[in-house]
Formats: sequence, structure tokens, C-alpha cells
Amino acid sequence: MEVFLQIIFSGIAVGMIYAVIAFGYQLTFATSGTLNFSQGDALAFGALAGLSIVEHLHNYWLMIPVVMVVGALYGVMIERLGVRPALKIKSEGWIMATIALGIIVHNVAENIWGKDDLKFPSPVSEIPINILGANVLPMEIIVVFGALGLMLAVELFNRKSIYGKAVVATSADRDAAGLMGINTSLVIVFSYALSSLTAAFAGVLIAPLTLTGASMGAALGLKAFAVAIIGGLTSGLGVIVGGLILGITETATGFYISTGYKDVPGLILLLLVLAIKPAGLFGKTAIKKV
Amino acid sequence: MLKIDNLHAGYGGTAVLHGISLHVAKGQVVSLIGSNGAGKSTTMRAVSGMIRPTAGAILLNDADVTGMESYEIARRGLAHSPEGRRVFPTLSVTDNLLLGAFPRFTGSRPKGDINADLERAIDLFPRLKERRTQLAGTLSGGEQQMLAMARAVMQNPDVMLFDEPSMGLAPILVEEVFRIIERLKQEGVTMLLVEQFAAAALNVSDYGYVLESGRINIHGPAEQLRNDPAVRAAYLGGSH
Repeated sequence: MEVFLQIIFSGIAVGMIYAVIAFGYQLTFATSGTLNFSQGDALAFGALAGLSIVEHLHNYWLMIPVVMVVGALYGVMIERLGVRPALKIKSEGWIMATIALGIIVHNVAENIWGKDDLKFPSPVSEIPINILGANVLPMEIIVVFGALGLMLAVELFNRKSIYGKAVVATSADRDAAGLMGINTSLVIVFSYALSSLTAAFAGVLIAPLTLTGASMGAALGLKAFAVAIIGGLTSGLGVIVGGLILGITETATGFYISTGYKDVPGLILLLLVLAIKPAGLFGKTAIKKV
Repeated sequence: MLKIDNLHAGYGGTAVLHGISLHVAKGQVVSLIGSNGAGKSTTMRAVSGMIRPTAGAILLNDADVTGMESYEIARRGLAHSPEGRRVFPTLSVTDNLLLGAFPRFTGSRPKGDINADLERAIDLFPRLKERRTQLAGTLSGGEQQMLAMARAVMQNPDVMLFDEPSMGLAPILVEEVFRIIERLKQEGVTMLLVEQFAAAALNVSDYGYVLESGRINIHGPAEQLRNDPAVRAAYLGGSH
């Protein structure tokens, strides 16, 4: 029982990280129908930048808003260089362009911070807390609430503020949003900024639990993409459920079968969802009028 | 107020409009009538910036807005209630209306009293009253049309474009749409109206233009067009 609880708790922490990155994928998909495939690199870049900022500020909490700004600027750069030119000519070039920009950022990060993984100092005690017999690190609790908090804040913004409503309107019907006086190009830039901000935030949340390095984002970005597909690219609840499913099955497989196989169930799940319900568990099938 | 001069526009190399000119003076209601495919909606889309004109000029309040993005034209005082309603289905009726006033919230249009205008819009379109909190996607076609028009009213614009407001509506709702246009006219709203029901449109209009294959050959005071034998035969025959 305790082992089982341990698996659940660890799975939730990992799953929430997947969820928050997947949420980032959704943000740009909603406004522009495009995805930032360098989300993983945004995460790594955010974590590494966070590490350097912490060395100067000596305070993890003060570092977070600074890293968010770094992440937002990263998103603006991706949109300008990789996405806008492709959108203008209605091409799918953004796929290769965002991957390419991600590789460049990865190499730049390796040159600045080196190829070796670095230790990110934990802002809280590293002594586990005993919850119902399972050991939980205080940082894991922060991860869960931090990720949930960020997603909730974005949802509230979309529902309550007129700017958030403009984002929703742009997602629903870009032309009609333009007729309302909404600068939809700016909304897309904003969604990229917010999306990469989310990834950078996820980076500094997970960094104290893992090691920090230029390559830390590759697997996370890919798995979060799987979560976005499993949960549905249009459902906020979907990414949370998808993230938890993937996080928990991974930890369970790692414990009961072998850590070597821990990535397998998630990928099988991805294939199953694509075969049976391609819009995702919570996604709505898009109806395209032609 | 709105002046179109020698406008050419089309879609991806296919020209639809071959140089049309028209003028909507302040406080006037002007109708653009014509058969399917004549280029009525294309004219509307070119005016509001949804498509880029290939030649010609569009003047709004004496300022050249040709080739501007639609959000810029909207901020300069043009509201376009497009063909097919285009309400935001995942947002509530109230949110759709508030988005009509978006440039007023952000300071790019004079703010005025948004709450009072919200009440006025609901008052103009009583069908929306009980639907305020409902998602726009769950409304009936007629209610969505009312919402699209109310959203344009919320923009508090200098000129309103209504593209086929009666399309696909039951006769009783068509009457209601025209009653609302009549009322907006009495309030002094400047309108350019595109309608399938040419007779009803000319009834509420001051002036009319007849569009044929992307060209305007006949225009004149609405009264005169209503009595023009050629116009009657081509567009005003049948039930309306």
C-alpha cells in the first residue's frame, strides 16, 4: 500500500509538469493552429537561466518572475522568426522552423552552460515529508501547486478580463475577432509569449528535483506533446488528466517492471488514443466547413 | 462618411469587383442589391479589410483606409456584421457583446458608457435578454443574427455594414430584423445594407445601388429604384 501511494505521489508530481508544458502547447494551437516544437528547449533554457539568476539574486522565489520574462521573450522570438513568416504564406513551415530554432537554442545553451548536468539548489528542505507512509519531497508539493496555479491563473485571465476574452475570440474565429477591432497578430504573439513563459516556469519548478542541463527538455517536451495529444489539444482538463495518467503509469512501470521500459506505456497510450479517438480523450472533433 | 472609389477586389487572382464607386452620407441608409455572386459580400469584405482591394480607394470619415487590417478599420469607426453571423460560439452572449466594445475598453475608441450601451443593445434586441449568460453557440439562427447585429451596435461605430442580416431566417424574424434596422435609422445610425430581400431593403433605405457582375450600372434614390421597371423586373419580383 505504501509503495503504491509512493508511486501515485511521484507520478502526480511528474504528471503535473507534463500537464503544464502540454498546456503551453495548447495556448498557441488555440490562437494560431500552430505548435511551438521548441517547448522542451524553452524549458531547459528557462531552467538554466534560472540557475544563473539564482546565483545573482540568491533567492529562488524572486528568480521566478525574472525567468517568466525570459520565457516570454523566448516565445516572442520563436513567433517572429519561425511562425509568423509561415503563417503569412499559409505554409506548414513553422513545424521545421520551430524545431530548428529549438536546436539552435540547445546549442547556444550548451555553449553558455556546458554539456554537463548541473545541480539546481532546492529552495526548500530536501528532507521528505511522510504522508500516509509515503515519502514526499516538499519541492514535489510546490511543483503540483505551482503548475495548477499557473494554469488556473491563465484560465481566470481568459474568462474574466476583456483581453482574455479577445484571446478566446481569436481562437474561435480570427476574422470575426479582427472585425471587433482585435489585433489578432498581436494575440498570437502573446500566446507564444505565454506558452514559452509556461515552459520556462515548468523548467525552474522541475529543476530542483532533477538535474539541470541543455538536454533536460528534450524528453519532457516530447512527452508533454504526447500528453497534449492524449488529453486533446483543446481541453484544459484533458492535459491535467493526460499528464497524471502518463506520470503515474510511468512511475508504476518503472517500479513494477523496469525503469528501462518506463516510457513504453505512455507511447502505447498515445498510439491507442490516436487510433481510437484522434481528437484526444477530452478533445472535441474539429468540424471543418468546406 | 463612407466613400468607395473605383474599387477592384477579388480572391486569389480572380477579380470579382471591377471598379465600383459608392457613397454613404452621414445618417443615411444605403442598400446594395444584386443577384448571387454579383459581388455584394466581396464589397463588404473589402471595405472592412477582410480582403485587400487590388485597386481603388476606401475613405472612412475622409481618411484613407484602403489596405488597412480589419482591426485598424474597426478602431476607426466601422462595424461589419458579416455574412453567416460569425458570433463567438464558446463565449456567452454578454461576452460577445462586450467584445463588440473591445476597442472602447482598450482606449482606441472613445469609451462612453459601455454598461448603458449593453442595456441599450439588449433593449433593441429583446430576444437576447433571457440568453445573456448562455453560450452563443447554443442560440438559434435568428438569435445568433440578433447577437451579431447587437455586437455591431456595441462597437458604437460611425458606419455599420450589415451583410445579409435576414439570411436563413423565418419570415417573422425577417420582419423583426427590418424593424430593428428601421429603429437604428431613426436613431441616426449610418448603414450600408446588403440584402437578398431587395424590396424590403429599399423600403428602409434612402439610396440604392444595383450591383451586376462586379459593376454598378444603376443607382439612385431608393424611391426611384423601387419604381424603376428594369429593377422591378430583375430584383423586386415575387413575394417581396
